[in-house]
Amino acid sequence: MFFAVGPVLAALFLIVTAAGFGLYPIKKLIQVQEAKHELKHGSAGFLRTMSGWIVIAIWCAATWFAATIIGDWWATGDLSGAVGRSWRRLELILRILAALSDD
Amino acid sequence: MTDGVTIAQTDLLCVNCAGQCVFTPETGTLTCQRCASEHSIWVDPDADPSAEQHYHPDLPHTEQPRFTRDRPYQCQTCGGEVVFLGHSLSESCPYCEGALIEKAHTESYEALGVIPFVVGDDLAQINAQTWVDGRWAAPSNLGAVVAQCRVAGIYVPFWTFDSVEAVKYTVRYKVQRGKRTLTRTVSDSMRTEFDDLLAPASPHVTPLIRDGILHDFDPGNLRPFEPAYLAGFAAEFHHQSVKEGLRHNDSDKRLLLRNRIKKHSGKSNIVDVSYVTDTTGIKYRRILLPVWILHYTYQGKPMKVVTCGLRGRTFGERPFSTLKLFGFAALMASAVAGFGFVWGASGIF
Repeated sequence: MFFAVGPVLAALFLIVTAAGFGLYPIKKLIQVQEAKHELKHGSAGFLRTMSGWIVIAIWCAATWFAATIIGDWWATGDLSGAVGRSWRRLELILRILAALSDD
Repeated sequence: MTDGVTIAQTDLLCVNCAGQCVFTPETGTLTCQRCASEHSIWVDPDADPSAEQHYHPDLPHTEQPRFTRDRPYQCQTCGGEVVFLGHSLSESCPYCEGALIEKAHTESYEALGVIPFVVGDDLAQINAQTWVDGRWAAPSNLGAVVAQCRVAGIYVPFWTFDSVEAVKYTVRYKVQRGKRTLTRTVSDSMRTEFDDLLAPASPHVTPLIRDGILHDFDPGNLRPFEPAYLAGFAAEFHHQSVKEGLRHNDSDKRLLLRNRIKKHSGKSNIVDVSYVTDTTGIKYRRILLPVWILHYTYQGKPMKVVTCGLRGRTFGERPFSTLKLFGFAALMASAVAGFGFVWGASGIF
């Protein structure tokens, strides 16, 4: 169980894939950080730059969710069971994202 | 005066040696480039450059003259020909390097105010380089590329706009009732004012760069338009009529108004804002603000870093390194995935 190759390879694949999809979210994160430190707070440019930061949260949430399934698979050795148990987490994360997107 | 162009030139010469003078930001004086003597700049004590003009769309003085042709001028110091191109307001003679400042064309420029440079070129160059060097995920050679370029001082045309808005709005927002999410609406009205909303009137400064370099604007720092302040610097006329300036500023104003409505409604989870506003009391200033601009090209794409000539605040355009972005993304993905992995392995739920 502890040396299962499948979950480890899946985790590596997840990190590489998430990094590929993460180019834009990371760019956005840097722009948001720059805006927070350098743009006049409350200005039009500041508001425009800050909008759209939800893409960072979506990317993090998707990566986290996929990793929980792999972690569950690694611990139990049961992939189909791990996927089945992930639905509650998916519901939780969708609720969090919905609340964040409203703000 | 040549071909209808009124130029300030001879009054910018040194009274001691008749040498060419330029404005020195650090001292706020005209400095002779030949004998280094400094001359204070006289301004009309009765002038009020911070005075605002009421906007009346039907009055002709709110429209700017169109510069459809280049304006040639014969230098009074050396006789060479200088051509004022497009919206250029300040030039230097290519033969004797004398400063040439175009004076007002029409009455519409009488209200022009200017805030002179305070920050010099050396500090601006350092600030621009520091800003570029401090960028995350920037290409490794970006600092070297920028180091080969030099800042140029320019007085950029800006508007300041005031207005009073009587707003009637409707806000749609979500509320949670048990497991159900309901959408509610609330309608209200409010009165809000915009004071000294700065709007760039030149493509040299984008609204985003404006918000990066001009955090505070004090009309008390405005000086009456005096050619001596522009000596040695580039400067531009306004590229737009007042009406065009208002139209360009409209998207910024709408964004700020929506933000104020959200705050006024006191609701969270807002999904939509609609409003109508009655705008009155529009006032404007036509002013020139000092900036240092460093133009550079990275992989064929022109970019700029702009330093405010008042306080040295710097902001600009920058490229990203895809490789570094991938590295940062991989690091963050590893951290998030590690957290998720442990979460899933622990069987919390």
